Amino acid sequence: MGFEKFGRFGYVSQTKINPLLSYLEKGQIAATKCEKCGRTYFPPRADCLDDRHSALEWVVLDGKSNLVTFTKVFFAPPAFQPETPYLLGLAELSNGLRVFAPISASVEEKQLKPGKEMNLKAAKGARDNLFYWLE
Amino acid sequence: MSRIAIIGVGHSKFGKRSDASLRELAFEAYSSALDDADIESSRIDGSVVCSATHYDKQRSPAGVVAEYLGLNPQPTFNIEAACASSAVGLRTAWALVSSKLHNVIAVVGVQKMTELSNEEIQELMGRAGDVMWESPFGTTMPAYYAMYATAHMAKYGTTEEQMALVPVKNRKYGSKNPNAMFQKPITIEEVLKSRPISAPLKLFDCCANADGAACLIVTNAEKARKLTDRPVWVAGLGLASSPMSLAERKGPMTSFEVTKNAAKAAYKMARISPNDVDVAEVHDSFSITEILNYEDLGFAKPGGGTRLLEKGETELGGKIPVNVDGGLISKGHPVGATGASQLFALAKQLRGEAGSTQVDGAKIGVAQNIGGIGMYSAVTILRA
Repeated sequence: MGFEKFGRFGYVSQTKINPLLSYLEKGQIAATKCEKCGRTYFPPRADCLDDRHSALEWVVLDGKSNLVTFTKVFFAPPAFQPETPYLLGLAELSNGLRVFAPISASVEEKQLKPGKEMNLKAAKGARDNLFYWLE
Repeated sequence: MSRIAIIGVGHSKFGKRSDASLRELAFEAYSSALDDADIESSRIDGSVVCSATHYDKQRSPAGVVAEYLGLNPQPTFNIEAACASSAVGLRTAWALVSSKLHNVIAVVGVQKMTELSNEEIQELMGRAGDVMWESPFGTTMPAYYAMYATAHMAKYGTTEEQMALVPVKNRKYGSKNPNAMFQKPITIEEVLKSRPISAPLKLFDCCANADGAACLIVTNAEKARKLTDRPVWVAGLGLASSPMSLAERKGPMTSFEVTKNAAKAAYKMARISPNDVDVAEVHDSFSITEILNYEDLGFAKPGGGTRLLEKGETELGGKIPVNVDGGLISKGHPVGATGASQLFALAKQLRGEAGSTQVDGAKIGVAQNIGGIGMYSAVTILRA
């Protein structure tokens, strides 16, 4: 199985950043970092924007983040309907990069507001699919 | 800079058009545009067919549309920029005519959506987000805009009641537009009580998927003067892009940088400021979108969009009437046709032919058309 293992329901199967799955399997969130200029990318990129260098190393992130915004989805695409309603969020990590991620069902919606401290954690789905979410 | 004019506009009825196929919808708009311009089809030396083709059953629809309109063997091709397809189609026609490669171009925006189920459309629209990093979490088009709404509410205290003023205003004017999908006014209570789609957006905060077509006939100044005594001039064209993934966008998510950039380019080209605008068509795919667009186009300060609504400044008789043809919220949103539909409405206004929704003495109009989840935005300025 390729990268379609990523997410609740993945669409893309082939990519250069497959190692992300191994990190998620170990419960870690990993970014790529350009060996030449040191710029970090999350979600990971295979190619550095600044110098077009394509040998990037993997670095583990701590997942500390602040919520930027969120929504609760009631009307979902067919593959996601069994899980409705669900929460989606956009958060800023401590390194300034942002992540689009689901918000864990264990989080109380009432507590959510932009600015709230969250943690980005690795997660595993029922079909052995791998992803991350905000807790 | 070369002067390019729109000399004819056409529009089909929008809505669930179970009576018509893609090519037949295109014909309705094209034929009425030729009548409007009072020219023969033989004058058209190329067609630009604008459609977000993944919603159509037909692959590469330019082929069948050009054939059905009788526009072979002239050049034809598709333009796709999601919901902004036909605004980009006008930009393309502008370049084709300015370069003198062509003389008279038909821009045909067309979409046949309702052959797909709402779920199929929802799935396709979810994949209008970043398919690698966002769609795998169950994104939808409303979800993306809802996230902007949440941020705007938190930063500026915008309420759901204030957002409801957008569909209430637009549906009021939609009731006067015979081409609109919904021609019945609605109340704030009805908006607030409608079912949740993606919080805080509810059903009546959202535009509907639809079938439809709109057409623009575009030519140079010399031909325009020969062919018509009521040309509408393309005074400014702004188009910008933004990262597709939300995570790559900066700031508090309370405005669309992409629209600000497109507006800046369009105002500069037309040598006008937002205060000069007499009438506007903005992309009200969702209630919150219209509010953000007021602010991003410079009609209101950041956070001031709701105040404009509350004071009735975007109503007929207000400082800057917006979407007085009903907007996407009343007309429905046949993705590829929407940009041309906005320009159709502006052309009618600038020619003084908008009937009961005419803005008195309108000389300068602005249309703003967002593509997808905000990766494209087009701002077009027309002058009488």
